[in-house]
Amino acid sequence: MRIGHRLLAVLIGAWLPVLLVYLWWSASAESTNPYFPPLSRIWSRFLELWVFAEWPTHVLPSLRNLALGYAIAVVLGLVLGGLVGASRGAGRYVEPLIDFFRSIPAVATVPIFIIVFGLDASMRVAAISVGALWPILLATMQGVRATDPTLMDTVRVFGVSRTATLWRVQVPGAAPLIFSGLQIGLQIAFVVTIASEFLGSGFGIGAFTLIATDSFLILDAWTGVILMGLLGYAINIIFDGVERVSLRWYYGQKKLA
Amino acid sequence: MVSGLLALLLWQVLASYGPISDSTIPTAGESLVSLWGLLWEPETWASLWATMQMAVIGFVIAIAIAIPVGVLIGLSRFAYRSTKFTFDFFKVIPPIVIIPITILVFGPTIQMGVFLVAFSIVFALAIQTAYGVRDADPVLLDTMRAYGLGTVMQVRYARLPSAAPFIAVGLRISASAALIVSVVAGLLGGAPGLGRDLQLAQAGGQSARTFALVLLLGILGILVSRGITILQRRIAFWIPA
Repeated sequence: MRIGHRLLAVLIGAWLPVLLVYLWWSASAESTNPYFPPLSRIWSRFLELWVFAEWPTHVLPSLRNLALGYAIAVVLGLVLGGLVGASRGAGRYVEPLIDFFRSIPAVATVPIFIIVFGLDASMRVAAISVGALWPILLATMQGVRATDPTLMDTVRVFGVSRTATLWRVQVPGAAPLIFSGLQIGLQIAFVVTIASEFLGSGFGIGAFTLIATDSFLILDAWTGVILMGLLGYAINIIFDGVERVSLRWYYGQKKLA
Repeated sequence: MVSGLLALLLWQVLASYGPISDSTIPTAGESLVSLWGLLWEPETWASLWATMQMAVIGFVIAIAIAIPVGVLIGLSRFAYRSTKFTFDFFKVIPPIVIIPITILVFGPTIQMGVFLVAFSIVFALAIQTAYGVRDADPVLLDTMRAYGLGTVMQVRYARLPSAAPFIAVGLRISASAALIVSVVAGLLGGAPGLGRDLQLAQAGGQSARTFALVLLLGILGILVSRGITILQRRIAFWIPA
């Protein structure tokens, strides 16, 4: 019975995407419009390029920059956010600045990083990590500051040191909020990864797609767009999975409450 | 305020005396002078106008599509569950990935920016609306049904009021997103506006101008988000901003 239910749920969720792809496939089959080539041809080109011939040249460098930049942002965001959030004075001075930096669209900072670092991989990693830093930093600060006062009093009564309180009580307690910052940070990191490749690069999936567009290699451009879309979606799915596992204790607590 | 001045001072000192003083990085002073200059160029205001135009038209189109669609989807359990995966998929995909296609189809035009802005927010806004519509008080709905009030009345007096806070949150997030996407359309797709100015300044090696434009975008971002907060307090004062 339960298996039947789940099957039904999957069917209900799946018929529309299947229909849309089918419509695209059949409507474009005879297409002579240069910008909308038949999906069947896009698909066979996609298999040629991305399963997995061009991964070492284009996909892996992008993913490497993304992973490195995001990792830096996460570490810096948690450490700085924890420290600033825990000190009462610092927040007041730093928060307006953070607010300003956060208001600049992350993609728009890429030209600045090009001026500072030139066009190599360090520029990309720096732009990714700075773009992703702000939401993580802000969420950590706010989360740490919002720790339950009763919990803080208890910790103080038991004489737990301030450092231990910060890293073992306040930051973990802020995890649900921090995860939302981490998710926004990851989405920004992905966007900046591609943007940094659009704005001048020989390799990477964004560069590949834009060069294909400029050279009127329409099929290649479509495969690049589809691959970027799938990667963007996959990254979010993976993040959701990690969040669900890491926050299991929190959701369990909420269910009990 | 104090911290802002300190940050500018630090930038000035680092760019003038540090190991990076020989590089192309402009000082804070040079950037601010350039920013001041920008404010007196009519082209800047024309670009600002183009950027805002793309953001606002795209935003309005997205609302006009997303809210009716969201209400319709929210009314039926089957429709909600059928569209959920598809809408989530497009909501999660950053609009930046379809820029190459919009370059081909629209070219570097206002229309491209409008399309990107609308595309980037329409799915999230429809999901928000549908979710809010489904959240309506079931007792109220049952009561209305018992009194023989039809779907239109239910939507008008139960579903939409319940969806309003969800829609307000969606609109707020969408408005900031609209501005960002409109800038990005210029920067990466060549659509007119501040984004394209930024790309041209960087490509032309005008580093002070590049920094000034980024500062300008930061100020614009803050003004828009403040503006939205004020608007929301005026129009939807019962919803906490």
